[in-house]
Amino acid sequence: MAEPSILEIQGLRRDFGGVQALGGVDLQVRRGKITGLIGPNGSGKTTLFQAVSGMDREATGRIYFDGHSILGLRPSRIVALGLGRTFQLSRVLPGLTVLENLLVASRPDDSEAEDRAHNLLRQVHLERQVHVLGKALSYGQQKLVEFLRVLMRSPKLILLDEPAAGVNPTLRRTLWELVRQLQEQGTSLMLIEHHMEVIADLCDEVYVLNEGRIIARGTFSEVREDPQVFAAYFGHRNRTAS
Amino acid sequence: MRYSDLGIGALLLFFSLLAPGFLNNYQLSFLLQVLMMVTLAQSWNLISGMTGYISFGHGVFFGVGAYTGALLLMGGAFWWVAILSAALLAAALALPLGLLTLRLRGPYFAIAMLGLNEVGRILANLWVDLTGGGDGIALSPLLSPVLATNYFSMLALAVLATLGMGWILRSRFGLELRAIREDEEAAEMLGIDTIRNKLIAFTASALLPGAAGAIYAFYTSFIDPSSVFLPALNVQMIVVVLLGGRGTLWGPVLGAVLLMSVQELTWAEFPALHLALLGLLMILLVLYLPDGLLGAWKRIGSRYG
Ligand SMILES: Nc1ncnc2c1ncn2[C@@H]1O[C@H](COP(=O)(O)OP(=O)(O)O)[C@@H](O)[C@H]1O
Ligand SMILES: [Mg+2]
Repeated sequence: MAEPSILEIQGLRRDFGGVQALGGVDLQVRRGKITGLIGPNGSGKTTLFQAVSGMDREATGRIYFDGHSILGLRPSRIVALGLGRTFQLSRVLPGLTVLENLLVASRPDDSEAEDRAHNLLRQVHLERQVHVLGKALSYGQQKLVEFLRVLMRSPKLILLDEPAAGVNPTLRRTLWELVRQLQEQGTSLMLIEHHMEVIADLCDEVYVLNEGRIIARGTFSEVREDPQVFAAYFGHRNRTAS
Repeated sequence: MRYSDLGIGALLLFFSLLAPGFLNNYQLSFLLQVLMMVTLAQSWNLISGMTGYISFGHGVFFGVGAYTGALLLMGGAFWWVAILSAALLAAALALPLGLLTLRLRGPYFAIAMLGLNEVGRILANLWVDLTGGGDGIALSPLLSPVLATNYFSMLALAVLATLGMGWILRSRFGLELRAIREDEEAAEMLGIDTIRNKLIAFTASALLPGAAGAIYAFYTSFIDPSSVFLPALNVQMIVVVLLGGRGTLWGPVLGAVLLMSVQELTWAEFPALHLALLGLLMILLVLYLPDGLLGAWKRIGSRYG
């Protein structure tokens, strides 16, 4: 029997010079659930994703993904274990076509990659853009393509860093539908998102990060009532509640 | 490869195979040098055109190949054994060098490679027992293959290099290399083992320059440190690829034919200015024609086509 958590983080710390971006974070992502990560700007959310995905290998602490200790592994190794991740600012490969962006993200031994890519593109109504270069897409489309290419390997856990930022309302709905579908198919997700109604709607559990520390954990209605959370959002200079 | 690519390739190959029948020795020599440049440029294209890691010192593999080929031939090896060994030694050298240098970000990699070519030249000068130092090595005409043999060997390399590039461009490996050029971190995050891929591309890109160096040594019958670890050669292969179009199949071929022809017609008159003119051309290409002639052709085609 697999452990109930697909991701287990213990005492994760990260300093940038004198700035403590993560000050000992403990966190679990449960299998098949959508876990929200919220907190004011600069609270360390992206830094946490950087460490979990192996992009930043300077953090200390423990990270277990699906039973493997992954802190210090290169991203490609972590991806091979079944993790996928999108970036806060789109990093679609600009000189590759949409189709190539998806194909390059598939498993090398996946003989149905091309069909899978076409199917995914159809779902978000990008099928007519297959041969368009990444850089020719609108920003919102780029963010969608970035999300789709993570799906090419059917990861067990997907980290989404503000996937809807810069995406128009229509595409946004498509995106959240896709997230919901993924969960129904058994995928675990972790979501950084500023729109609280989205968090309320999608997330089974929410962690609130403030100045590198977890200040609350629970369902959305639980953390919303937490006075510390209120203070973090409304007493903070860089407030970003929206 | 697409049918049009196969067609172009077959036509060029047909001409090149018949060329010894109707060209004089001077013309055949020139064509041999064009084929050598095609080989070098395609190899450079593999690492630098595809991944964006600009090697300013790929000539080091040519130089190593030239010495290996010359020494083995003089030591009594069959000419083709000497060529094969030169290729393998160059690649064997590239592997550890790649492990060291490919961890560097692009600009530092470029500088490290620039230094390597100089190290090669200095070593060839200092290691007198092996290389004869600054006196160089004269190959006995009795042992060296004749011009036609060298020509066909070089042709085989150019064909191999171009076929290899055609295959890579259509393969998943090629796609992964292009992803690295676009955004290495993002590529790694998509599951691409960027270090392994760069290392394979780099090692493979040393193979044919090593072989070309050996054939060049047979062809000129004399090598010394400054003629095979030649700064201009490093710049030439870069200019050829930029001129034709980096990361494309025919760019290096087109670039080699054009650059070598222009050099033959003009710059041979100004040997002192040669390197400066090449450098200037490189800068102009980077600034005004970054996709090369094939890229510009495609753009014009899609605008008016
Ligand atoms: N590469 C970096 N170098 C220096 N400081 C950084 C770096 N990345 C993040 N930080 C700092 O770490 C803190 C957390 O940043 P981040 O994780 O991006 O916040 P969030 O995603 O929650 O908005 C901020 O104070 C930020 O300035
Ligand atoms: Mg962030």
